[in-house]
Amino acid sequence: MSNMLKATKLDFSLVRPYFKVIGFTMLLPIAFAAINRSILTGVSFAMCFIAMTTGYTFSITEKNSMERLYGILPVKKSEMVIGRYLFVLALGALALVVSLITQPIVLRVIGETVEKVDIISAAIGGLFLFALYTVFQIPGYYKFGSIKGRVFMYIPVAGFLATLFLLPKIPMDNSIITTLSNSPVLLIVLVIVLVVVMYAVSILFSIRIMKNKEM
Amino acid sequence: MTDYLEVKNLSKSFDSFQLHNITFTLPKGYIMGLIGPNGSGKTTTIKLILNMLKRNSGEIKIMGLDNIIDEQKAKAELGVVFDTNYFSDDWKITQVEKSISVFYPNWNTERFAEMLRKFHIATNKKVKELSKGMQMKLMLACAFSYDAKLLILDEPTSGLDPVSRDELLQILSEYIEDGEHSVLFSTHITGDLERAADYITYISYGELFFSGSKDDFVDMFRIVKGGTNELSADLKGKAVGVRTFPTGFEALVKTEDVAAFSTLDIEPATIDEIVVFTSKRGEDYE
Repeated sequence: MSNMLKATKLDFSLVRPYFKVIGFTMLLPIAFAAINRSILTGVSFAMCFIAMTTGYTFSITEKNSMERLYGILPVKKSEMVIGRYLFVLALGALALVVSLITQPIVLRVIGETVEKVDIISAAIGGLFLFALYTVFQIPGYYKFGSIKGRVFMYIPVAGFLATLFLLPKIPMDNSIITTLSNSPVLLIVLVIVLVVVMYAVSILFSIRIMKNKEM
Repeated sequence: MTDYLEVKNLSKSFDSFQLHNITFTLPKGYIMGLIGPNGSGKTTTIKLILNMLKRNSGEIKIMGLDNIIDEQKAKAELGVVFDTNYFSDDWKITQVEKSISVFYPNWNTERFAEMLRKFHIATNKKVKELSKGMQMKLMLACAFSYDAKLLILDEPTSGLDPVSRDELLQILSEYIEDGEHSVLFSTHITGDLERAADYITYISYGELFFSGSKDDFVDMFRIVKGGTNELSADLKGKAVGVRTFPTGFEALVKTEDVAAFSTLDIEPATIDEIVVFTSKRGEDYE
């Protein structure tokens, strides 16, 4: 097992006592999907809620002064950081899968039709939102700790609201928007590339913060 | 390899404190006490050894490996015990093993179970349910389970009752018995060292005061005692520190200077007395 996976496993052990809370967090958005009769809304809430649990590993580490444990383990700081990102991504992927399975079932039960395109749109939207929430949050936690770092979670929220505000001002006949709306595959590829780039930059920031941090 | 730990010219600056030019060597098969008053730089030194702090200058080798370049290899040989537990409070003992063992290829599960039995640690308990002494033993059990060659303990006895302290010292003595293990043990409870340590490194106000065998350290000084009217200017000048009472005085004097005061009571100095007198930096006190 690589050191990064060992670090992921260690994070998994850390949040184990919080599995019930995390499970509830994954299931709660089913209600939002049902109320709004939209899988896109349900998945967006699910990914937002699960992104909020990213801070668990940091707060448990802080509460138990476990930075000293990380300081003595025979693992590079960069491997510890990447291990944590893998854990966060695994949690996000699990929440996405749970949402994409449960929410269409519930929506069909209450009489809504859920097409394949709705599920794909929700998956892509959810992935992008989760990435947006976590890429800011994690370096924030590394730099400022679990309490102050939480502020970084609201940066994408502010960005999201600003985008909503600016969106009506963007002309819909814009060539980029037209191209993207006519080519869903291009949009999906673009989102995936964007997510990968965001995580790569975020990981590099976090590693840099950890390498400069004195424990 | 005869030296398990080599620290050369180690320096570290903070805004309000400086660790300056610390040099010492811990040979294989021995226990070294790292002593000094609170805030003297013991924990800073240990954190620098563990690369948890960035040094300004100097060199540190753990079992011949550079502590930064070969950090992972070096840490695989290290066992560390801090004054407080570093596992998650909510972990059960079995969870501690599952979480930590993956990082050490030579982890021995049977040895871990044996250590838990020896230390009377129940596997179904959570870390937070253990006493401070038991938590310290759990950290030791982990270090022994991957056969850490060098054990570093930072103030392990602070907050322990005398029985637990005695047990710890016994464990450390057994640990080095085979001559293949060493211990660096920081403490300000110097009584522990009288019994367990072979070597002493004494840091005072961030400066290295002494590093060598415990016997040499204790032999460097004598306590000179006398009545109030026997405290001469000569003695005051030669004393490292003087403590005066209404009925007389006690002075710490270098052994080489003690012959001039043979008419007074001269006694061997304890580690505690040496630390107390030298920490006062020669100031007289009551």
